[in-house]
Amino acid sequence: MRYIFNFPDIGEGLEEGTILEWYVTKGQVIKAGQPLVNMETDKIVTDIPSPKAGTIVAIYGSVGETIHVGSPLVEIEIEGVFGAEAVAETKEKEPVKTEAIEEEEGAGVVGTMELAGKNAYLAASDEGSSKPKAEEKPTVKVQATPLARAMARDLNIDINRIIGTGPSGRVTKEDIENFKPTKHTQDQTQRLAIQDQALSLDAVTYEPLSQIRKAIARNMLNSKQSTAHMTLFEEVEISELISIREKFKKPFSEKNTKLTYLPFIVKATVEALKQHRQLNSQIDLENDRMIFKNRYNIAIAVDTPEGLVVPVIKDADRLSLLQIAQKITELSDKARDRKLTLDDMKDGTFTLTNYGSIGGIFATPVINYPQAGILGIGRIVKKPVVKDNQLAVGNVLPLSLSVDHRIVDGGEASRFMNKIMEYLSDPVLMMME
Amino acid sequence: MEYDVVIIGAGPAGYVAAIRAGQVGLKTAIVENRHIGGMCFNWGCIPTKALLESAKMLNKVKHADEFGIDGVFAHKLSFNWEKAKARSKRITGKLTAGVNSLLKKNGVEIITGTARIGSDHSVYVDNVKISAKNIIIATGSKPKAMNNKLANAPIVEMEKLFALESIPENIVVTGNHVSAVEMAQFFKLIGKKVTLIANSDYFMVGIDEYLITTITKKLKSDNIDLILNVYPEKYENGEIYIGGFKIKCDLLVNLNSRKAVIPESEIPLELTDRGFIKTANSFETSIKGVYAIGDVSGKSFVAHIASAQGIYIINTIKGIKSSFDSTTYPINMYTVPEIAQIGMTEQYIKEVGIDYKISEFPLSANGKAMIEGNTEGFIRMLSDKKYGQVLGIQIVAANATDMIAEASAFMNVEATVYDVAKTIHAHPTISEIYMEAGFEAFDHAIHF
Repeated sequence: MRYIFNFPDIGEGLEEGTILEWYVTKGQVIKAGQPLVNMETDKIVTDIPSPKAGTIVAIYGSVGETIHVGSPLVEIEIEGVFGAEAVAETKEKEPVKTEAIEEEEGAGVVGTMELAGKNAYLAASDEGSSKPKAEEKPTVKVQATPLARAMARDLNIDINRIIGTGPSGRVTKEDIENFKPTKHTQDQTQRLAIQDQALSLDAVTYEPLSQIRKAIARNMLNSKQSTAHMTLFEEVEISELISIREKFKKPFSEKNTKLTYLPFIVKATVEALKQHRQLNSQIDLENDRMIFKNRYNIAIAVDTPEGLVVPVIKDADRLSLLQIAQKITELSDKARDRKLTLDDMKDGTFTLTNYGSIGGIFATPVINYPQAGILGIGRIVKKPVVKDNQLAVGNVLPLSLSVDHRIVDGGEASRFMNKIMEYLSDPVLMMME
Repeated sequence: MEYDVVIIGAGPAGYVAAIRAGQVGLKTAIVENRHIGGMCFNWGCIPTKALLESAKMLNKVKHADEFGIDGVFAHKLSFNWEKAKARSKRITGKLTAGVNSLLKKNGVEIITGTARIGSDHSVYVDNVKISAKNIIIATGSKPKAMNNKLANAPIVEMEKLFALESIPENIVVTGNHVSAVEMAQFFKLIGKKVTLIANSDYFMVGIDEYLITTITKKLKSDNIDLILNVYPEKYENGEIYIGGFKIKCDLLVNLNSRKAVIPESEIPLELTDRGFIKTANSFETSIKGVYAIGDVSGKSFVAHIASAQGIYIINTIKGIKSSFDSTTYPINMYTVPEIAQIGMTEQYIKEVGIDYKISEFPLSANGKAMIEGNTEGFIRMLSDKKYGQVLGIQIVAANATDMIAEASAFMNVEATVYDVAKTIHAHPTISEIYMEAGFEAFDHAIHF
């Protein structure tokens, strides 16, 4: 039986990827979970493993080619079931019942593979078939004319995404021609035309959006539209933290690690999260429940020339200060070299954004949806402070905490903030926890 | 009495619309001032093809000897015009009766008389008012009269042809299209001397040039004189004067272009430059709720298109989603051998700049064609190189007019040459040539 494996939705809102390297060739026998191809998106470089064991019978796309999510990557002849038999069965029974093969356990597929159930039942016997996951509703084979199928294959369009206008919803040549992956509605097109007229040609320069910019735009808007943002500002005096950092700088650098303030803030945040679980949660309104995270995965916003990426320090609660510092360096380097893997980017539970390293004081950070909060770290400034009723020169770190007000009440946000401030102003306390 | 739909004219556009209207529950009346079935049943498609079939039978029987039949002597065979005509009338009678009963079965009121559209948006027949929410004009067309200088010639149009008691020796057919070629061949097959005058620059317009060449060669081999691009000057002493020649002419069959039969209307109907009723893509005329379909709209002069328009318009009135695509329909020529074409011509493909491929397969390599003794012909398939989409199919074969239906189906579902090739055709059939042309398009025909 032939199985068409489509480029899965690997998350991050990216719609396409570029083939960097094929690990397999036509005719090669592969195991489930074996990497098929190395793909690069605007955010990450990742291996796509095979969901099935079998023999590669066709490879779609060559190195350097861009593949859209949902378009075929490879066709696999699955062991033990022969094409003709499978086809014969398909004709007699419901698609789901014909499946002799179960999805192999542990066939590790990156990211949100569950979402990628767009594999289609193709029409003719020699064009293969595939199976939906057991828990999914069976994918209904889209009706399409032979020409429309040929065109969709050629243009790398997932025909199942197209609404057919032919008899009984059949996808026709015209539908393929009219299909635009970006889905501009007529309205949008008209608006664009009007905008184009309004702006004289030399006044502006048009550039297409990069994948990463599109993903950022989508994520930001989604966050603002899906959550109730509330931001809290505080200043914390950190002279003690500064002296501790000075003290540890040298031993750290002997271990080839640069010690910045960020590892301390990660540590303080993790300790505060442990005591304020609302901030390490997400809300699931559809099912009327809260989802509290038992892991402390701190996402760090990293500024790169291509745009913002947010890799994750996994299980930061189990890491030493040194390990956190090392992890931050590693992730930042990978981000700038676009070497982040999907695994580096997923499962964050709370986010830190260190804009202070560039220069801001306060900000209203946008929550990394669906997380409950994000802590913005400003630039440390020297300021007059009152210490023991005496005016003194203080080292003040400005903090901005945005929370999803649906989850976190104002009081809780303040208590969480106080805890972080407590740890940062008295780092020894934090180390004792 | 108020009707949802009143249809004027019961030809293939009107009567099909009426049946469809009845089927979907619209209160419907159809007005006809002559014969149910219109030109198609009474003087066009049906009776002319019936006559042609008689002529083809004569031709076939002449070769009975080759098929192992003794006792048939070619010199003893002759064409009986009256009997052939009577046969065609019987067929027309049966079909007309059938349509009559279908109209009644679907609750359609048949009103005999001539319709007039009143200023109150009603239809009047003999001054009896018939209120209508929607009016469909399907009054058809009639031949344009010949030039005055030919007024003294023995001119017949198709209607009058069927009134003739006998057919004289020297026949001149004038006309530019399929029906003229068919009738020229008919007269030749029944043993007459025939000249075909195509008096415009547009001989067989819309037909692939390759087929036109096939036709002109065939006419030549049949000894039918073909004169192109010249209009007859005068008729004198039994002869037509044309381009310095004189042609003996006992009967001048006028199959020239046609003009619309416009019903009387107190609300003026906007017309096209060529004098047909102007309609939008929806077939609505300049008057809201008044539609025009079939020949009278000048959009096509083919019965099957008229019928398709009839179904479409009723669906639209009833609010049933449907679309009308007239780009893919067969053009049939009931010649010997028959010729059929569907889709784009090679000239059109070149004009629009599609990278195409032609795959041909001759009937001389087909077993069934040999069995039937008709190996004259071929299939010619035009496909685009990129996806293999079937763009057009042309067939010359004894039964090409029926065979082309398969091509309609292929094109309707946007089939590619691969689909044509992998469609298993029964053996032996002439239709196997489809499969062969399909293979030829991307690989090699098996039997050639």
